[in-house]
Amino acid sequence: MKLIGISGTNVGDSATTLLLNFVKKEFSNLAEIEIIDIRQLPLFNESIEIGEGRLVQDISQKITEADGVIISTSEHNRSIPSALNSFIEWMSFKEHPFNNKPVMIIGTSIRIQGSSSAQLHLRQILDSPGVDAWVLSGNEFLLGSSGSAFDEQNNLKDASTIKFLRSCFKNFLHFIQAAKFLNASEEVHFEPGEYQVSAIGHNGKLPMTITVSKKRIEKIEIDTKNETEGIADTVFQRIPEQIVSGQTLNIDVISGASVTSHGVIDGVAEAIDLAGGDSAVLKRRPKPQNIVEQESLELATDVVVVGGGGAGLSAAACALKAKRQVIVVEKFPAVGGNTIRTGGPMNAADPDWQGTFAALPGEKATLEEVLSQDEDKIDEEYKNDFKKLKKQIENYLQSGNNKLFDSILWHRIQTYLGGKRTDLNGNEIHGQYELVKILTNKALESVKWLEDIGVEFDPNEVSMPVGAKWRRGHKPLKSQGYAYISALENFINNQGGKILTDTPVQELLIEDGTIKGVVGHNFEGRQVIIHAKSVVLASGGFGANTKMIQKYNTYWTKIDDGIATSNSPAIMGDGIKLGESVDAALVGMGFTQMMPVSDPVTGELFTGLQVPPANYVIVNKEGKRFVDEYESRDVLTQAAIDNGSLFYLIADDKIKETAYNTNQQKIDEQVAAGTLYRADSLTELAQQIGIEPDVFVDTIDKYNSYVDAGYDPEFGKEVFDLKVQVAPFYATPRKPAMHHTMGGLKIDKNAHVLNKNGVIIDNLYAAGEVAGGIHAGNRLGGNSLTDIFTFGRIAGTMAANNINDK
Amino acid sequence: MINLIGIVGTGAVESTNRKLLQYMKERFSVQATIEICELTDFPFFNKPVSKTAPETINRISEKIIAANGVVISTPEYDHTIPAALASLLEWFAYTTQPLKDKPIMITGASYGTLGTSRAQSHLRQILNAPELSGLLMPGREYLLGGSLQAFNDKGELMNSAKKEELDKYFEDFVRFVVKNQ
Ligand SMILES: Cc1cc2nc3c(=O)[nH]c(=O)nc-3n(C[C@H](O)[C@H](O)[C@H](O)COP(=O)(O)OP(=O)(O)OC[C@H]3O[C@@H](n4cnc5c(N)ncnc54)[C@H](O)[C@@H]3O)c2cc1C
Ligand SMILES: Cc1cc2nc3c(=O)[nH]c(=O)nc-3n(C[C@H](O)[C@H](O)[C@H](O)COP(=O)(O)O)c2cc1C
Repeated sequence: MKLIGISGTNVGDSATTLLLNFVKKEFSNLAEIEIIDIRQLPLFNESIEIGEGRLVQDISQKITEADGVIISTSEHNRSIPSALNSFIEWMSFKEHPFNNKPVMIIGTSIRIQGSSSAQLHLRQILDSPGVDAWVLSGNEFLLGSSGSAFDEQNNLKDASTIKFLRSCFKNFLHFIQAAKFLNASEEVHFEPGEYQVSAIGHNGKLPMTITVSKKRIEKIEIDTKNETEGIADTVFQRIPEQIVSGQTLNIDVISGASVTSHGVIDGVAEAIDLAGGDSAVLKRRPKPQNIVEQESLELATDVVVVGGGGAGLSAAACALKAKRQVIVVEKFPAVGGNTIRTGGPMNAADPDWQGTFAALPGEKATLEEVLSQDEDKIDEEYKNDFKKLKKQIENYLQSGNNKLFDSILWHRIQTYLGGKRTDLNGNEIHGQYELVKILTNKALESVKWLEDIGVEFDPNEVSMPVGAKWRRGHKPLKSQGYAYISALENFINNQGGKILTDTPVQELLIEDGTIKGVVGHNFEGRQVIIHAKSVVLASGGFGANTKMIQKYNTYWTKIDDGIATSNSPAIMGDGIKLGESVDAALVGMGFTQMMPVSDPVTGELFTGLQVPPANYVIVNKEGKRFVDEYESRDVLTQAAIDNGSLFYLIADDKIKETAYNTNQQKIDEQVAAGTLYRADSLTELAQQIGIEPDVFVDTIDKYNSYVDAGYDPEFGKEVFDLKVQVAPFYATPRKPAMHHTMGGLKIDKNAHVLNKNGVIIDNLYAAGEVAGGIHAGNRLGGNSLTDIFTFGRIAGTMAANNINDK
Repeated sequence: MINLIGIVGTGAVESTNRKLLQYMKERFSVQATIEICELTDFPFFNKPVSKTAPETINRISEKIIAANGVVISTPEYDHTIPAALASLLEWFAYTTQPLKDKPIMITGASYGTLGTSRAQSHLRQILNAPELSGLLMPGREYLLGGSLQAFNDKGELMNSAKKEELDKYFEDFVRFVVKNQ
């Protein structure tokens, strides 16, 4: 049972919100409630086309997909707050998600009447034709004197109030079931046959063939060759299956692949309409299956791993190799997490192999810089290594060797220097020596171990991932992150490991003060209790949790509420919170990494025209340049933030040719969709993106003159390639997106989680992005994969040994 | 001659409620001045802890306090008043409270036939809240249905019965204002 919760208030931490949060928590065994913050939306005005259009659609979509909605309202001037009023206006203007949707009203007020008048107004409003919700009648829950109704844990104090609330809530769940029957009654008729449609998938067009008989959808075939391997597979299996078995289009989208899910559902809807049916009727039908209350599912194992990304799966594989029973619990319908999204190459110094490649121009100069670096600036624990590295470099340079240089120490020192940063409060951070040492010592072993598991690497290419600073990337032959995940998943399945997907872990199971497993909920809403001797937290970072990033941030001057992310939506910092529940220490939480040149809406890196930085021409919303385009990720990011975040990458027809991420068809599609701008003159381009043409033309003229001169007096750009001169011209809107969270649970070198006193927490291990301390203020590209496969292995092995020790 | 503040109950660019107020301003220019205020000038109510009003709220509040009365013309959205109008009234209740004991005339125009009857009844309840305490003339209502077709090119009301009804209402309101000064 999935419900949406809406707190109808203009303020964040009001009693109205407390009440809703309480309902969510108290009845979590009955229903999953997602709370939507309506304050993201501006005041409704029909006359302005807002940029938030997408936000309105997203929220509307969530409501459409939910089984019901709970609205908690406070009372302002005998009516509902304008924030709630405005929200309902947005939801009844172009979108009408409340149509026939079961709604329950609850409310608070500071005085005794407990929002009674507001609730009556709300009922009338929800009854209006543009909204047309089905409001649960009776069951009026009015919480008066809200100032004193909650205790310190934000629980309602009064037991009889809770009891009444529970009975209202249960009535609401019955009401939802009844509403399903009402919604189900409409019949459909089709013109039998095969219908070809082309839905919009994540990566472009998705051709589908839908076969219908007189009254039924019989078959759905999808041409899947354009979609990302792995992430979307579940969609192609589960959604058609559910549509056919339930004869309904009211299908839950697959988390993490919502675009593809909607693509498939919309495609079938289109075919139904073509076949003379009414897709709206099918959308109103009940979901295929729905189980309300059930017994919990109890399982027992040696090692339980929370999270099926690279760290979790490699931990599981190691525990299996140590002949232990293992269960991996994964929040999403498919394993992979952020790992499946990576570019693929992982860093490991392998001088013998790297020494077979020729050195590139500039690499020697980088090494020479190391020799001239001030040793006093190196932190004490790294000094020895630094001195040894200098010797290695001297020997290399003297030998006249013209092959690529590398060493474990060079990798170590680059990781250390690359991660050394100071935050806004003047606090310096750098990688913990002990952890960085293991990372770099065991990196190559991790590559070999993965080869054993079945990951094939390309021996003919040594790559440098973006932001890696050196060529030591081992690149899998198969497509990107999928290579790791598929090999590990196969290994685990073949070795008798168990993977439970669709099961977010919500608590650690604690018995007699020690950790004895985990508790979560599965796809059917059933509670899942797993008893285990060791628990490995591998749930990734918190890059999709903007609130959490804002809470800890000490590095960026501002994190926008609406900031996009390159991360999977599952990456919400769950493991960090689980750790905190047993008093784990946290490290480096204020430091996060952003990708400066990301899609402003989706956070994706590979939309628009992505060209080499020598060809970046970056202008702000005023049409002016504001930074040396060749700067590092964090400088670009901060400059963008200082300029209001949104900026444009400008290209002409020749620069377009240097884009490495796209082709003409994609470009045309994006121009048509309005996510990329194209014009025959600079003036016209400026008008399209709403900037002053004269200013913009002047900016480009100046930039072109700097390219001619090879010198940029304004921002000091030094590496140039092309001018902006050949029509058509392009503008790709970009914004920094959250990419990586360096901070996390404090671990020791054996991946034990430490508490605030530096003491090991029994039976608890952590590895991967959920842990902190290694990358410190900035993670080098390609080092994360090294981290997760190295510490993932350590955590799995230690978790298995933990059992021997007993 | 009395001075009134007219509030257009929506921020929309095209509004027949604005037309109605403009019409009243012309029509009753002998009895009253009506200064028309637009909701687009005010921020979304956000209940600041400081309880201080934004500059634009202070400005309109001063005008209202100085005026003899207020005319609000509201559309109806989803059976109630628009959020934009609700937001303004929240600012008033929470900060400056300029409507206390101020005579208020409510009118409303809507495209449909019912002419904002539900929104007006909500608005009356809202204006009755202790922090607003507006002085509402009892028993009077002006509902302009079919408002898209109601005005001619010059912005004049075309239906003579509706015209008379408004004249009468306004005459009573002027008396109500004078009595309550
Ligand atoms: C777009 C992108 C590109 C990247 N490219 C690179 C690159 O080229 N090189 C590199 O080194 N790094 C790269 N990174 C960083 C790298 O991908 C991550 O740091 C790394 O994959 C983290 O691995 P992990 O196993 O710790 O977590 P993840 O792979 O994120 O896995 C965590 C898993 O835990 C699950 N989970 C979360 N909460 C719960 C819960 N409560 N219960 C159960 N399961 C839960 C999640 O669903 C997820 O499957 C990239 C990241 C992104 C987003
Ligand atoms: C502008 C305004 C008007 C209010 N009007 C009422 C009211 O009519 N009846 C009531 O019980 N409380 C009223 N309150 C008090 C709110 O119910 C109280 O502040 C509430 O607990 C806080 O919730 P909120 O501000 O989330 O919206 C009003 C508060 C504000 C700010």
